[in-house]
Amino acid sequence: MATSQQIRTAYIDYVLTQDEKPKSVYSFAKKLKISEAEFYEFYSSFESIEKMVWVDLTIETIDVIQQQEVWNQYSSRDKMLSFFYSYVELLKKHRSFIVYSIKSHKDRFATPQVLSGVKPIFENFAEGLINEGLESGELADRKFFSKRYKDALWIQYAFIINFWVNDDSTEFEKTDEAIEKGIQVTFDLFQRSPIDNLFEYGKFLSRNGKFSASRSNS
Amino acid sequence: MESFYPEMESFQHPEVTHNMAEQNSIPVTKTERSAKFVKTGFQIGGNYIKHYSKKLFNPQLGRDELNEDNATDIYKSLSELKGSALKIAQMLSMDKNILPKSYVDKFTQSQYNAPPLSGPLIVRTFTKSFGKTPEAIYDKFNLVSTNAASIGQVHEAELNGKKLAVKIQYPGVGDSISSDLKLVKPFAFRLLGMSEKELNIYIKEVEERLLEETDYELEVRRSIEITQACKDLDNVVFPTYYPELSGKRVITMDWINGLHLKEFLSANPSQELRNKIGQALWDFYNFQQHELRAVHADPHPGNFMITPDEKLGVIDFGCIKEMPDDFYQPFFSLISSGIINDKKKTIEAFRKLEMIHQDDNPAQVEFYYKAYLEMIQLFAKPYISKTFDFSQPEFFANLYAYGEKIAKTPEFKQARGVKHFIYINRTNFGLYTILHELKAEVKTDTYTPHIT
Repeated sequence: MATSQQIRTAYIDYVLTQDEKPKSVYSFAKKLKISEAEFYEFYSSFESIEKMVWVDLTIETIDVIQQQEVWNQYSSRDKMLSFFYSYVELLKKHRSFIVYSIKSHKDRFATPQVLSGVKPIFENFAEGLINEGLESGELADRKFFSKRYKDALWIQYAFIINFWVNDDSTEFEKTDEAIEKGIQVTFDLFQRSPIDNLFEYGKFLSRNGKFSASRSNS
Repeated sequence: MESFYPEMESFQHPEVTHNMAEQNSIPVTKTERSAKFVKTGFQIGGNYIKHYSKKLFNPQLGRDELNEDNATDIYKSLSELKGSALKIAQMLSMDKNILPKSYVDKFTQSQYNAPPLSGPLIVRTFTKSFGKTPEAIYDKFNLVSTNAASIGQVHEAELNGKKLAVKIQYPGVGDSISSDLKLVKPFAFRLLGMSEKELNIYIKEVEERLLEETDYELEVRRSIEITQACKDLDNVVFPTYYPELSGKRVITMDWINGLHLKEFLSANPSQELRNKIGQALWDFYNFQQHELRAVHADPHPGNFMITPDEKLGVIDFGCIKEMPDDFYQPFFSLISSGIINDKKKTIEAFRKLEMIHQDDNPAQVEFYYKAYLEMIQLFAKPYISKTFDFSQPEFFANLYAYGEKIAKTPEFKQARGVKHFIYINRTNFGLYTILHELKAEVKTDTYTPHIT
């Protein structure tokens, strides 16, 4: 009886050595000397195997960083940085597969199918951090926009993964820079900024400007 | 409605709220960095326009305000760039003899302030180098850095009851050095008034030293070598370095308790104490120059501490300048022997040092002979007597006046002097400047040149 882990390992080995998907679940199961039914017990398709790899790596990263002693001292911004640094470190161990997985699913304009399992997990994690930041006052609570913060972080996620896949610098140093700068900028935008003050002032003027105008008329 | 305009205007300048400590993005790509420099250029241009339009109405207006404006803009722009650009700011600030005072004051700030890196990136740097987090390596580790070290930042840590200083390098520094220097070129060209050719020699030498500085493994090796060689010097102390806790991006050394020069001086130390520290500094530099032929070429005040037991602590060996024989011999022969009184031999030495060129005509030879003779005489002054009082303002007034005269002389826009002068001048003028700030009187015959 095969386990889900064995099927996954065999699949990863297959795509990395053959550089393509198995022709069918039938041929893959035959090679593994299991029945097709056994395969479907664990996975509905090859995509779902890849999806699970991503999901597991993401959950593992979140688990690991949350257990670090410094975790509770970190601000939301630091926590997000910490996630990405640990994430790319973990992905490094599976780089060949990750590169294969991203490059074989090139949906430039939408979330690649293989990341569809990760998206809710990451967004949930990001939302937790954002709420923490909103509560502590680290991030600015803006009508309509606060709800979109997690989307901005998901865009960063996709950008960083893509950057890392194409990074050829030693020890992926450039990715570190991309993370540091990208996340810092994103969180800068989440913070209270002169724009907020400008907006507030505009609101004030539109109300009180009218008020003073109406008074001078009377 | 008109009364609203003054407020409206302030919106157009959100930079007013700009705060160093909260500045979180370092311009990364070359375009971004260029943009920063271009902006500085524009601002300086603007400052000149401002200056001259004010001058129309007030002819007495000095250039001090203009210099101050320029320095502020340059500093703002450089401090946002971090890394090698900051290093250049530091280097320029050492050459007090070239720059007007207000540039110097602003640049000196850059030796103390630069925006810090995020905690997670620090943890990341450790896990990359050692496979462990800082907490797993040290008993205690402070994620908030105590100060910036131009291409890195310093953290406090503790291991086995010992207080340690841990220096961490910013990622991508090595990469951006060459491109930064290319960007700094036109800027330095205007600021220093140098010719292209002279600048290229300068830039190449600086690039080599800067790239060496990014090699923390080399720095640890050299630190250990030099501190070993200097261990018998009186009143100079060095931290112990820990190679097993150091790597490509991390250096671990003992924490040196003590005061920076500014803090030390603000406590009004006695003349005796100032002499003692000054003597330690003099001995440290001249021992290296004449016994080791390799010198700690970064004498900016941030690299020294005065310890509670009244000793000089030296903490940064990132920049070491080695002196080859073909530079050392002619240069120091001018200073320590009677050659300077022999015009023919002096000119010969100047030729060896490329201060006088083969194709100079007799009038040019005479001109450069006179100009450089004045420089050497000034420079050698402390060496001539057995003791030298660095507190005398005349000596420094003469140095600055000479520097200014040179800067205004068109003949000096041309490349002169071998490249080794850059760091050796910087080192010795840096040394003189610190001794001047200390107002120290030192025995100058402790370590003297060896001329064969």
